[in-house]
Order: sequence, then structure tokens, then C-alpha cells
Amino acid sequence: MSVLVVARWTLLEARRRRLVLAGVALSVAFVALFALGYALLYHDQQRAVVEAEVLGAGVLSAREELLAVSSLLLVLGLYGVQFLGALLGLFLGVASVSPEIDSGALHAVLARPLSRLQYLLGRFLALAGLLAAYVLVMSGALLLTARVVAGFTPGDARRVVGLMLLEVLILLAVSLLGSTVLPTLANGVVMLALFGVAWLGGILGFVATIPPGNELLANLGTAAGLLLPADAVWRGASFHVLPPSFLAATSLAGGAQDGPPFVSTAPMAPAMLAWALAYPVACLAVAVAAFRRRDL
Amino acid sequence: MSQTASADHAAGIAGTGSAVPAIATSGLRKSFGSRVALHDLTLAVQPGEVFGFLGPNGAGKTTAMKILLGLVRPSGGEALIFGRSPAEPAARRRVGYLPEHFRFQEWATGAELLDFHGRLAGLGGTELAGRIPELLERVGLAGRGGERVRRYSKGMTQRLGLALAILHRPDLVLLDEPTSALDPVGRREVRELVRELAAAGVTVFLNSHLLTEVEAVCDRVAIVSQGRVLASGPLDDLAGAVTQLRLLLDRADRELLALLGRHGEVVAVEGTAVTLAVGTLDVAPDLARLLVTSGYRLYGLVPVQRSLEDVFVDLVGEVREG
Repeated sequence: MSVLVVARWTLLEARRRRLVLAGVALSVAFVALFALGYALLYHDQQRAVVEAEVLGAGVLSAREELLAVSSLLLVLGLYGVQFLGALLGLFLGVASVSPEIDSGALHAVLARPLSRLQYLLGRFLALAGLLAAYVLVMSGALLLTARVVAGFTPGDARRVVGLMLLEVLILLAVSLLGSTVLPTLANGVVMLALFGVAWLGGILGFVATIPPGNELLANLGTAAGLLLPADAVWRGASFHVLPPSFLAATSLAGGAQDGPPFVSTAPMAPAMLAWALAYPVACLAVAVAAFRRRDL
Repeated sequence: MSQTASADHAAGIAGTGSAVPAIATSGLRKSFGSRVALHDLTLAVQPGEVFGFLGPNGAGKTTAMKILLGLVRPSGGEALIFGRSPAEPAARRRVGYLPEHFRFQEWATGAELLDFHGRLAGLGGTELAGRIPELLERVGLAGRGGERVRRYSKGMTQRLGLALAILHRPDLVLLDEPTSALDPVGRREVRELVRELAAAGVTVFLNSHLLTEVEAVCDRVAIVSQGRVLASGPLDDLAGAVTQLRLLLDRADRELLALLGRHGEVVAVEGTAVTLAVGTLDVAPDLARLLVTSGYRLYGLVPVQRSLEDVFVDLVGEVREG
């Protein structure tokens, strides 16, 4: 019951601080820009296919090219969504607990018959709800655009969205953990650095697949992914956006990545997925343990 | 607080009817790194008492209060409220608290804040709908509940804090410097509020460095400095613990001082006026007869009741010098 009271209070705070309003306004702008760009680029590519048909040469490869472009444009848009969602998750988590401690507003709240576990859960649930709504609406709008404009739907759209949700929850949980032990500014710096390391790890992992391959780089990439499995989860999501023909073409090219460096042409390793699922739960557990010990 | 609320309280106290102290601490200790904020604090506050916790800034008063609310974990010793550890959330159900700096979520309105805290305290929506306007009225914020806390003055915020502290009709109210932001009128109102709470059987634990405030409302006090209790007891005992006699004579020679020294301690000699510290006022009549028979002319003999401030300054001063 108290968890819900805190969650409701957190949602009221988000509304009062104009977070929701700003989020909605900027999201509408993002989706509009994406839809416009998607339509323009798709129609350009479509003209190229028609020209190829007129010339009577390479029609099949031109059609595959069109499919590849449709999916790559979508993956690019979703990359933008996950990036914004990730930053939003970090910011919300960083601002979740420590500013309330610093201002002293938490003293009166935690003097109530409310456990620290209940407080943290309430905060997390409300913020996770906001983030989930953001990711669902934004990725849904992009998927819908691809379907309407190009008639393209990823093979497993549910898995794409599910993994993107997992990514923002991981970032929210880790920054909420930071917020229970670090001052706000320090936590912000640490979280951005961690996020950067995870991103770099993903790039290293990508570079490692370029023949002849580099095992050390691959291991470094995996280590960064274990430290913060945000980018790894995004790559897992991106795999499910790409069409099989595109993936087949890449595997014919000797396993080397062919797409942009921020998508993956291989599915997420099951062990990494398990780690990514356990990660936010572990972060919350550590956050509760640390917060219980903290003197206010 | 309304009449019905007072009746509720009286019934609540009678219902529990136990001799469990509202607050009990034994050997309570807290250190932050190498800095010791609280040494060995042992005290008991009985239900219905108004207890003043007095001390200079940095004496450990706020730390002690935070331990009693489960906000700070003690390094040693034990603290209990109504016989339970304040670390258990349920133990805090009967407790109201006004924090020292009374900072609240500034984006919320006063009424929203009261609603939030009311729900955390276990009150229902319909109950709160009636209770909130009544409370705002009670603390002098009638009609201001819809304004954001950000727009409140310091005094208004402290009044809101008082409303939050008594919102759920607690049996124990902890007030940390409750009048620091209030003008003289506001201070008087808080004194009246504390008296009303006491009349309704509510235990009040008051942190303050404002002695007159404590003198006006408290039954018992403890004086703390540098984390230690220097003295504690009923207000009258504490202020009267050391009684002084002020004597006015025709002369104050060496023989006189020697004679007086046998009955007490000479504290000051100003001309022919002597201040003598005595164990009990009962020595006064005998001393008067003795002085007269010894050939002194006695113009005056007045017992001097020391104020709480004198006791406080003496005790705290000794600690600082020592």
C-alpha cells in the first residue's frame, strides 16, 4: 500500500516538474522528424528500384536493397529511441533519491511507518512506468511508420521492444542504486561514464568481428557488457529488427559485420541475456541493502 | 487540535494503560567517523510528559532525535519508542515529527503534502479530506493549502511542518527546534499547541536551544552538551538544584567569610553584599540568628532562585572549559 502511495507521489512529481510535458513534446517532434525522413529516403530508394526494373537488370537485388534500407532506417530510428530512453533512465535514476536526501525532504517521509524498501520500490515502479510508457509509445510509433510507409515489420517486434524496455530498466536500476550511495552530481558523472564504457564495449565487440578477428577486443567488449549490459541488450534488440535476407548476406560475407557499428547481426548470447535480466534485480537489492544502512 | 481529537487521544492513552515509556534510551552512542555525536545517552520519557532536550548547537540533539525515528542507526546502545525499536516502520506509526530544517518537496502544494503524509501514516482519503482543512486552520494556514510550498515563507513552512507532525493524531510528537523560523506570535502559538497536546495526553519531546521556550512548556528537561547529558530532571528541581542566598550586611570581613564558609560556599562578594551557595534553604533562619548574635547587622537575606539559563550556562560553560 505504502509502495503505491510513494509511486503515485513520484508520478505527481514528474507531472509537476513538467517532465511529462517536456517528454511528450520532444517525443512528438522526434517521431515527426523520423516519419518524414523515413518516407523521403524510402521513396528515393523506391525510385531506384523502379529505374532498375525499367533497365531490366538486378531487380531482385534492388528489391532486397529496398528491404535492407527499410530495416536499416528503422534500426537507426530505434537506436535514437533507445539512446534517448537510456539517457532518460539515467537522469530519472540519478534524480530519484539523493536530491531528496540533500534537500532534507526525505527526513519527514522516512520518519513515517514506511520502510526504505517500500520507498525505493515505490520510486522505482513509478519511474519504470514512465520509462516503459516512453519506450512503448516511441518504438511503437516508429514500427508503425515503417509498416505504413514501407510495409516493413521486423520478424519479432515484441522481442525488439521487450529488449529495449529491459535496457532502460537496467539503466534506471543502476542509477537508482548510485543515487542511494552517492551525491547527485558524482552519481551523474559515474553513470554517464559507465554508459560510455558500455557503449565503447559494444563498438569494440563490433570491431573484433572484422576479419581476421581479435579475441582480446572481443573479450574487452564482453567485459564492458558485463559491467553494464545496456549496449549489449540494445544490440540484442537490433538483431531482431534486421530481415533474414540481410543477415544471410552478412553471413555469406564471412561473418563480418556489414551493417552500421551500432547494430548486431548475431543474436544475444543466452548467458548475457540471463545476466541482463538479473542485473536490474541485483541493482535494486544492493540499493535497498545500502540505503537501509545509510544515516540521513 | 479539535476537542474530539483531544478526546480520542485521552481514550487512546487510557486504552494502552501500560507503563511502557514513550521513549527509552540506554547507553545510546553515535559516531560519524572519528567525531562522536552522542556519548552514552540514557533517558526515559513517560507517556504524557513534555520533555525538553536542551543544548547548544551541535550538542547531539538532532542526532538523538533522528535515532528515535530510525533515520540514523546508533553505533551502540539501544533506543526504544513505546517499547519497540524505531527501525521497525510499524513502531513509528504513533509518532509525529517536525524536522529541524522543515524542508519538504517544494513542487507540491501544502494540501498535497498533507495528503501524501496522511496516506503514509495510514489515513484514508475521506478522513483526510476533512482533516486537512482543519489542520491548516489549526496552524494558521487556512486558505493557503492550494499554494505550492515553494511560495511559502519560512514561517509558513514551519507551520506546515507542525501540521504534518500532528496530522495523524500521534501519541508521541518529536519537535526539532519548532519555533526557529517563527515570530513572537508564532512562538506563542506553538507553546499553546504543545500545551494542548500535553493536555490531550500526547507525549512531546522538544529539542531546543531556546531556554524560555522550554521553561514555558516542559515538565522535565535534560541538558546536553557535546553528546553527553549534563543534568536532567524536573524543571523545578534542576533550576533549584543549587540554591543561593544573597546577604546584605554592615561589613564583610574575613571572620564573616569564614563563618559563612561553614554553612555554604561563598560565590561572590560585592562590597558588603555576599552571595552564598547553600544546599538547602533551611539554613537561612539559623544563619540569620547566628549572624545577629555574632554582632553583624543584617540588612537583607534573600534566596535567589536560579533560572534555567543560569544552570545551562554554568553547565555548558564548565564542559567547554574542561
